[in-house]
Amino acid sequence: MLQITLAQMRRSAGRLTAAGIAIVIGTAFVAATLLAGAVITRTVNDSIAARYADADLVIGATTDTPITDVGALEAIDGVTAAAPVNGTSLGLTVGNRTVYQLTIPTTDPRLMPLDVTDGAMPDGRDQVALPADVAERLDVAVGDTVAVTRDEMTDGGWQQITEQPVVVGLLDDPYGAYAQSQGAAVLDADTFLDWEAASWGTERGATEVSVALDPGADVAAVQAALAAEIGGTTSTDDARWVVETDVRASEVAASFTGDQDLMFLVFVLTFAAIALVVAGLVIANTFQVLVAQRTRTLALLRCVGADKAQVGRGVLTEAAILGAIASAAGVLLGVLLGQSALWIAHAMDVAVPLPDTIALTWQVIVIPMVVGVLVTVGAALVPARVATRVAPLAALRPADGPSVSRRAGRVRLVLSLLATVFGFALLAGGALLGTIAQEPTVGLLAGIAGGASSFIGVAVGAVFWLPKVTSLAGRLVGTSGPTARLAAANTLRNPRRTATTSTALLIGVTLVAMMSTGAASARASLTEALDEQYPVDVVVSSTFYDDAGVPTALPDELRAEVATAEGVSSVADLANVTLESPDFALDEDGAWVPADSADAVSPWTLDILAVDPAAARAVMNAPGDLAGLEAGTVVLGSWFADGLELSAGDTMALSGPGGTESFTVAVVDDPYASYLAWEDAAAAEPGLVANGMYVSLSDAADPNAAVGAIQFAVADADEPAQVTGAVVERAMFDQLIDTLLGIVVGLLAVAVVIALIGVANTLSLSVIERRKESATLRAIGLSKAQLRGMLAIEGLLIAGVGAVLGVALGLVYGWSGAAAALGVMGDVTLSVPWRDVALVLLVALVAGLVASVAPARTALKASPVEALAAD
Amino acid sequence: MDTTVFVPVNDTDTPADGRLAVRARGLTKTYGTGEAQVRALDGVDVDFAEGRFTAIMGPSGSGKSTLMHLLAGLDTATSGQAFLGTTEITGLGDKALTRLRRDRVGFVFQQFNLLPMFSARDNITLPLELAGAKVDHVWFDTLVRTLGLEQRLEHRPSELSGGQQQRVAIARALIAQPEVVFADEPTGNLDSRSGAEVLSFLRRSVRELGRTIIMVTHDPAAAAYADRVILIADGRIAGEISDPTPEAVLAGLDALRSLEGPVADDGTQAGA
Repeated sequence: MLQITLAQMRRSAGRLTAAGIAIVIGTAFVAATLLAGAVITRTVNDSIAARYADADLVIGATTDTPITDVGALEAIDGVTAAAPVNGTSLGLTVGNRTVYQLTIPTTDPRLMPLDVTDGAMPDGRDQVALPADVAERLDVAVGDTVAVTRDEMTDGGWQQITEQPVVVGLLDDPYGAYAQSQGAAVLDADTFLDWEAASWGTERGATEVSVALDPGADVAAVQAALAAEIGGTTSTDDARWVVETDVRASEVAASFTGDQDLMFLVFVLTFAAIALVVAGLVIANTFQVLVAQRTRTLALLRCVGADKAQVGRGVLTEAAILGAIASAAGVLLGVLLGQSALWIAHAMDVAVPLPDTIALTWQVIVIPMVVGVLVTVGAALVPARVATRVAPLAALRPADGPSVSRRAGRVRLVLSLLATVFGFALLAGGALLGTIAQEPTVGLLAGIAGGASSFIGVAVGAVFWLPKVTSLAGRLVGTSGPTARLAAANTLRNPRRTATTSTALLIGVTLVAMMSTGAASARASLTEALDEQYPVDVVVSSTFYDDAGVPTALPDELRAEVATAEGVSSVADLANVTLESPDFALDEDGAWVPADSADAVSPWTLDILAVDPAAARAVMNAPGDLAGLEAGTVVLGSWFADGLELSAGDTMALSGPGGTESFTVAVVDDPYASYLAWEDAAAAEPGLVANGMYVSLSDAADPNAAVGAIQFAVADADEPAQVTGAVVERAMFDQLIDTLLGIVVGLLAVAVVIALIGVANTLSLSVIERRKESATLRAIGLSKAQLRGMLAIEGLLIAGVGAVLGVALGLVYGWSGAAAALGVMGDVTLSVPWRDVALVLLVALVAGLVASVAPARTALKASPVEALAAD
Repeated sequence: MDTTVFVPVNDTDTPADGRLAVRARGLTKTYGTGEAQVRALDGVDVDFAEGRFTAIMGPSGSGKSTLMHLLAGLDTATSGQAFLGTTEITGLGDKALTRLRRDRVGFVFQQFNLLPMFSARDNITLPLELAGAKVDHVWFDTLVRTLGLEQRLEHRPSELSGGQQQRVAIARALIAQPEVVFADEPTGNLDSRSGAEVLSFLRRSVRELGRTIIMVTHDPAAAAYADRVILIADGRIAGEISDPTPEAVLAGLDALRSLEGPVADDGTQAGA
């Protein structure tokens, strides 16, 4: 039997190749993922070990019983040096730029993981060494001064103290010991301890001490001596311990990356699983066609004495061999990909120190192999069963056109219907929970469960409804001529095969469309929320306060710079003032009460923005926030109006150093708005200065570039000011969303590629079995171009139906997900990512077209004479 | 052994009006080279008149199918010429041949070769659709009536008997009113009753609808339906029989097998 199986495989080698490629890609994905996981683990491990530099031993203690006398450890025989492994975050400021940087104390060179690239390590209170790139960001060099902000505990709480050390050295972190904090700054060890003690009010001690031993020292003996000294053991399970560095490093790595590693693996392997499911569909299709084409051979085998089990086993054996060969190729491809990625990363000089070669563990080889073979054999189960049903009599019948158009089972219909209906109901429930009940977590969970259930239902039931859609689409294109009509009819002759092929594509496209729709909706909803939160595109405000706690003025030059920055269309000056209202007061609990109330204990003040009404209206995205603002009115948001029980047209008195004035109240929708015309504010507060500005960007400007230009102008002015606003945050969110979307779509692309291989595979299989028919058509007058066109339209139909339905489903899923997750933010904007949708459709259609090229070439080889051939 | 058969004088078929549908002059087809060279067709000269039903007969490997492929423009000749009407088809490119097959030639295949996904009606009109031509409804109705397919037009091939399928195939071959229809063993896959039926339809198409049909067959009974039988052996015309009867055809074939002389018009061996 094996001989026959192998012989059949050789004969069908071409037909098996495409299916094999699907498995190769799927298993390569799995192998590469496992390799990446291993690289991440090792990178983390190495960077943790790097933190101990060349230490031989590591001493640990709990935070309750820290090790305070490091000096005593150095006195022990065999110990060269001991240093606390400590770090604290300090603010480093130069001009108006502040960087919070992990800072560590100086140590013996053997225990210091950082290298000095320029200058020297600090040696004294007024010295500091900085990571080279931090120095670059702060624009300082060796010899410059930086302001270091630290806390000191005093009787009255914490007080900020600014030191002014000189930069004496620039550092590199060659082994990535502090890669997670972008390197570390170094302070003189004594200074570091002093500052730590000041900040905590007491000497804190170290929870970890790295120890370097004399060359040739007996590690075990020293370890025992150290354990005795600290009153601990040589096991990290105890409160105090001494272990070898490697032991400690792998423990730390395991403890704090264990979960992250797993998360990464599960996340990426989910996509690998989707790719494998799609590959499984392609394989199932291939084997169904193979079995159909071999009906006569199989029947002949049955005639000469093969039993059903042998025939079925033959098909499964074939699948297992194909799976094994393809998986082996897939592992090889995955390993090559992994190693290439490392080479590229090295060539590009990425910041994180990566290993030079991938680590080939047995898992990397065995898991993809097993998964690949299982998926292939699993996909061949149904075709194998079909093969066992071939009656020996079939050998005697003339060969009909092979077809596997067995009717799909009723059970399948019922189950898929149930899953679909239940899933969509749950999905709708999830969306409602998110929007109406404001329960994003429950809503999202319901949505995910519903989405998964309905999607499985849709995919499993595809064989029932997809052919109908294809038929409809076929009828639409069929009106355009005989070639299209032939193509449409061809896609319908094997509904099951067409359905499986389209479903394979549908899966990938649905997920891609869902992700981009979700992202687009999230983006739109966030934009709306940000627009509500920030009335203008960009706000520049002073962050320097005078003694009275009022922000200082923005210098004229800065305001001029911002006003003329690239992409800025208009600006309006803005002043923050605090005015009292003699009409109101606060009670003991801080609640608002009328000034004449018995509970009134302290004056009621209002932080209000002074603007020139006309200029501000021109700048704001929602000028309605300023409705009614003019000299003599005060604009209050609904939250103020409700709290003060004021309504539009009422009057309210406001007073400042310049006097008290009565204003007509205007109420606006933005609940927390409060505005006063510039002249009124200036009358109440004679020293009124512009300490902020509203900036609007021109529509044509690239927001990110414009924000960058404004930030640059602010940084250039060397004034403490911040740039905020809807556009700034939007740019941040956009970047985040784009990055996440890019990763997910990139991972899903694998599934789409496999599905497109499936389209090509289905077409070539069809062409092979329609060889005689193609010849007939050529004989009765189908031109070569028409034959090519027919196959192109078939490819377009199969791919197009899968892609269009996938996009439609993806939109529904994306919207439901957005509604469930973002409903809590307010109105969810359901947007269609037209560009992405168009791109997905274009890719699918072009791929469908391309997929028809090779099969068309095969079909054209059929000479019309073959139509006359007997068989 | 000398297998050359004398080609009789009456190898051209001159009808009353003298018009020829198909002609071949020195038509030769060889396969392979050197020692292994096979002359499937060896300098054949033959004429087929318009409005006649001609059968090409010969034993397996005689070259009868090759002759038909060359005459129909399905295959390219090694040398010699083939004409359809006044058009020389030897030397035409694929595009021109495709157009020629579509517009001027019809085919009937042994295995019917209908498109399984189309109804009988769609199968019949397919050549016109491919050509982008309008269906002549009068002609369509005439064909359908003559072939007795009125009740079967909406059926798929799988719902038709073999004879019905072949009748649909004949209608498909005739729908574009081609100058000539080539039929390759049209009864080869049919039982004798259906076969007889199909052959009478072919004969009616010639007699009543004025079509020209060239049929390749190895069945003397089938050949007897033709107006004229061309006998072919070893790549050459070995004789012909006008207004054949099955007996005459059989006798002609026997004569071919004995290879002792040319076959006379009555199927008996001349000079025997």
